[in-house]
Amino acid sequence: MIRTRHILLKLFLTGLVLSGLILIYLDARITSTFIDKMWEIPAKVYARPLELFSGAALTADDLAYEFSVLGYRKVSTPRSPGQVARNRDRFEVYTRGFDFPGERETSRRVLIELSGDRVKRLSAGGRQIDLMRLDPVQIGGIYPTHGEDRVLVRLDDVPETLLQGLLAVEDRRFYRHWGFSIVGIARAAFSNLRSGQVVAGGSTITQQLVKNYYLTPERTIVRKLTEVLMAVLLELHYDKDQILESYVNEIYLGQEGPRAIHGFALAARHYFDTPLQQLGLHQQALLVGMIKGPSLYNPLRNPQRAVARRNVVLDVMAEQGVISTEHATVAKAMPLGLNNKHQIRGSFPAFLDLVRRQLRQEYREEDLTTLGLSIFTSFDPLLQRQVERSTTAVMEQLDAGGELQSATVVTRFDTGEVAALVGGRKVRYAGFNRALDARRPAGSLLKPAVYLAALEQPRLYSLATPLSDTPLQIKGAGGQLWEPRNFDRQSHGDVLLYHALAKSYNLASARLGMDLGLDTVVDMLQRLGIERDVPRVPALSLGAGEYSPMDMAAMYQTIAAGGFRMPLRSIRDIVDAHGNPLKRYPLEYDRTVSLQAVHLLHYALRAVVREGTGRGVYRYLPDNFEVAGKTGTTNNGRDSWFAGFSGDLLAVSWIGRDDNGGTGLTGGSGALKVWAHFMARSSERSLGYRMPDGIQPQWIDDTSGYLTGKGCPNSRMLPFIVGSEPRNTTNCSPRKSGIKDWFQSLFGGDN
Amino acid sequence: MALLPYVARTAALCLALSVAGCSIYSMPGKEPVPVEKAPDYTSVPPATTGQPASRPVQPSASAAYQPLLDKARVASDRGDYEQALALLERAQRIDPDSADIYLAMAGTHQAKGDVAQASATAERGLLYCSGSAQCSALRAYTR
Repeated sequence: MIRTRHILLKLFLTGLVLSGLILIYLDARITSTFIDKMWEIPAKVYARPLELFSGAALTADDLAYEFSVLGYRKVSTPRSPGQVARNRDRFEVYTRGFDFPGERETSRRVLIELSGDRVKRLSAGGRQIDLMRLDPVQIGGIYPTHGEDRVLVRLDDVPETLLQGLLAVEDRRFYRHWGFSIVGIARAAFSNLRSGQVVAGGSTITQQLVKNYYLTPERTIVRKLTEVLMAVLLELHYDKDQILESYVNEIYLGQEGPRAIHGFALAARHYFDTPLQQLGLHQQALLVGMIKGPSLYNPLRNPQRAVARRNVVLDVMAEQGVISTEHATVAKAMPLGLNNKHQIRGSFPAFLDLVRRQLRQEYREEDLTTLGLSIFTSFDPLLQRQVERSTTAVMEQLDAGGELQSATVVTRFDTGEVAALVGGRKVRYAGFNRALDARRPAGSLLKPAVYLAALEQPRLYSLATPLSDTPLQIKGAGGQLWEPRNFDRQSHGDVLLYHALAKSYNLASARLGMDLGLDTVVDMLQRLGIERDVPRVPALSLGAGEYSPMDMAAMYQTIAAGGFRMPLRSIRDIVDAHGNPLKRYPLEYDRTVSLQAVHLLHYALRAVVREGTGRGVYRYLPDNFEVAGKTGTTNNGRDSWFAGFSGDLLAVSWIGRDDNGGTGLTGGSGALKVWAHFMARSSERSLGYRMPDGIQPQWIDDTSGYLTGKGCPNSRMLPFIVGSEPRNTTNCSPRKSGIKDWFQSLFGGDN
Repeated sequence: MALLPYVARTAALCLALSVAGCSIYSMPGKEPVPVEKAPDYTSVPPATTGQPASRPVQPSASAAYQPLLDKARVASDRGDYEQALALLERAQRIDPDSADIYLAMAGTHQAKGDVAQASATAERGLLYCSGSAQCSALRAYTR
């Protein structure tokens, strides 16, 4: 007897110690993670904000699109932030305002008047505005694998009626209980008994929070006990308001694809596109009602159930004295008031992919998904829309069957910012990102590096240097013979250097590459920004190697910028959850190539589109719009490339097949069309002519490359680096001539 | 008022030169050409200063970015170079062809102690400058 009692006592003591240990464990779990949990917010990625000032190039259609992706509501008179009224070229908008890094853009009512595809006038309350920006479009987030997303809100910023409604429906005794409610449990047990199944949880707000934070969703007695224990512990450590605040930020309110909508603030944005503080009573009631079953009462999918549930909540709120019956009646008569916004998040997978890669070089995945960073990028939704449209339009025309793929990179070359990116023909499809990951030979797209290397040696080469475009054979390291051919299978004898590039002659280019030496060519490619390893083979001059459209964009960026290399940037700033600037990606110039040599190369690249393989661009562009570029075609037409720039934009387009089969296209009949279609609609500035010091134009004879006189037979004006002019002279003296070529017209002279 | 005769004389010279300068291409320093180019700083005649650029400059682009330049100067003066550069980059996005902005950027890099960046920025700005004052100000950073 005594013995049994002894054992029982032992068991009791062991049990006591065990429960004590469990308590300590649970307590530690709560105190160590509760505060952290409150701050887990995925990074948000923003597009560039649209800058508005009078004179800014902007079409009414583009501005309307920007407002639409921003989710501004179309109204007849804007009365609250996020509303816009349009009357043809006149936009009246109540902006949302935004906290930019270091500067705040206030919310205000603005009148934007456009005329002739430009902003004509910008005013607020009759006063002119010099410069303003709209809030930036959020183009995505960096979500953890569980996909939770939220916008944090302070309890003070939650509308009082929403809080009272929440408590009235979910936990009437919240401010009186210790974490669990016997009354609630009894009531739940009663209704469960009556219906014969589990219909009510009887959980307090505290228990629901514990359940969401720490526990698995199965319904067992042990789990329920743990839940109650932890709820009590939570109540011991934190006050009621802290718990309620966590709850309003944590509560699960639906799903958008892989993204889980947590908290009232994000739900307000997601369902109504309205800040939480500005929700109407009917909207607040819907959110409270949705807690019971976020997918069952999802207003987007089950609007009727959602209305019914919302009205039940409004009745409860009236019954509990949170609102008056009159208010409830009015709110019940309201429509759901849902967001009619374009689904913009996750719509630009290729660009987000680029941003993510840049971020992962410097941040841990965990920081990106939890620290609530704001990432401001250079993404331009307007350029993106156009490059997508151009890709689709041209690809439909070239290949209705859909076998060919395409990728395009667009940068603003003055700042080196990537503005738009297409990674495949299905532009919204998050798959293989060909703009970054395709590995393709570049064909003639590499030739400018060879010619630039030559032009950097002005004592040996100028644009007028005759090159020999005749057959050649080169023995490779393995003993095999390399025997390049021209596209037209012809050889063209002596051709002037600029002409060989304009016509993309392979024999002349291969010879030039060999004369310069492979090391010189490799060095130039590296100075232009090719970071990948390039093969040191003779065929390098004709594009051997593996390159992505982004690699080509880096190279042409340096050329377009006049010999200044700058890293291609997709991110401008990173700001932490408190709005403090964390990191800025500054603009940095590095002059890696001779300014004068690049200037001469620009001449040759303009010749490509005026008289060479790229002439097709002027089927899309007006004749007086200056651009420069280069076509590229690889063996059997496997790759069709075009890279080029206007006065503001650089774009590199590629067309090919994923199985590396032939496309039947050349650079000129394929990628050029995407490029030109896009440029004709997006570029705002013609390529200016800017002559650096040390350049002198001369009249030369276009057949021999000799100096000649103005108006002489075959005379042509070419720019030269001072001292590199041809030594031979024709015996023709200058005369009057009325004929002007494209180069001369750049100078605006009148004869 | 003492300036008036000088202005008139300069204007007359401008006119004369622009009539003479009807050849397609004019040699730097000899005839003014309506071309966006960096003039020959060593022998720029007064007449070439302030020559019009061939591309019509947006009338109010400078009104739009001037406040940013002012703010950048304030930020730079209190030693907040990062903020100053951020403001200048924003200004540059509004008008990428403004040599004034390049000049302010180069100055900020210099103040920050980044001589290499000041020089590279000024060198690029030289492609956009017009007038000997602006060009030689940029040129000073490249030495």
